[in-house]
Amino acid sequence: MTRLIAAAGLMAACAAMAEARPVSYEDAWTVIGEHDREMTALWAHYTPHRSYSLGYRGEWHREQDMVFQGAQATWLVNRWFAPDSQGNLYLFGAGGLAYGVDSNPMDTSPAGSVGLMADWETRRVFVSYMGRAFAATDGTAHAMHAARAGFAPYIANTGGLHTWLMLQVDHAPEADEPVGVTPLVRFFQGPVLFELGWTVNADKPLVNFTYRF
Amino acid sequence: MIKTLTLALAAAGLAFAPAAFADPEPRSTPELEAALAEGGERVVVDVLGAVCDFCALAMTRTFERRSEVAAADVDLDSKTLTVVLNPGDDLDDATIADLIERSGYDLQGIRRGEG
Repeated sequence: MTRLIAAAGLMAACAAMAEARPVSYEDAWTVIGEHDREMTALWAHYTPHRSYSLGYRGEWHREQDMVFQGAQATWLVNRWFAPDSQGNLYLFGAGGLAYGVDSNPMDTSPAGSVGLMADWETRRVFVSYMGRAFAATDGTAHAMHAARAGFAPYIANTGGLHTWLMLQVDHAPEADEPVGVTPLVRFFQGPVLFELGWTVNADKPLVNFTYRF
Repeated sequence: MIKTLTLALAAAGLAFAPAAFADPEPRSTPELEAALAEGGERVVVDVLGAVCDFCALAMTRTFERRSEVAAADVDLDSKTLTVVLNPGDDLDDATIADLIERSGYDLQGIRRGEG
């Protein structure tokens, strides 16, 4: 049962990764905070090369009283350029420890995940997809995926306030609520990206932020 | 019915065609103007894939770290990076191409001696 709870929590956490992109410009840092229907997470990633980032990832799965802490590497496999659009394909892998907190007696267990993310955007339209598989040394292994689509109701230039209206759908088959549907609004200005949404079928908020420096 | 469909298609075409609102001329900023007033050289770099403020931030910060650069600005509308060099300094085309690449983007062209 503990294994199932841990697996469901980690899979649900992946939903918030549908948009997180820690690979930045060289010698830059990216801090990402995520709070969704299942968990709260914090990333701090450094980009030593334009193609990959390395850093810490911590997750608190509130419903399951479980914490995952570890290191994650994200590889920008390819970026497709066009005058008015950009597409990206990422692979990522994380390794660390998962353990129970509060009422969860789960022992500390080595755990890890692998996955991919893809996105394509213009200044008007955005679509993304991600899939992730998780495994722990106790034999747990699961997968999930999520997709997002959005559009910008107006176009802002550099430094202006960019606003996006988006819809995110995530699917985690073993979770209590297998499908999450989350309309959200994104505000984006300079080094700060902030998202506020509501998972309508779980009646829970989504709050994400990204800061680059 | 046909008129409704035509309007809908036109609206959809506008939504998926960002080039329709593109401004070919790079914008200026007080920082660029101040650097030009000091006698710096203006270089305009055409880039591919710049669609958001993170893209602009990446290029601006990468170039502003260079001692040769007095000011830099990315204009998403014109898809350009404008750099003003310090008087007497130079950044050759190969270095600019390398910096754009390190920012995570792609160079389309370099223009010097305009404005």
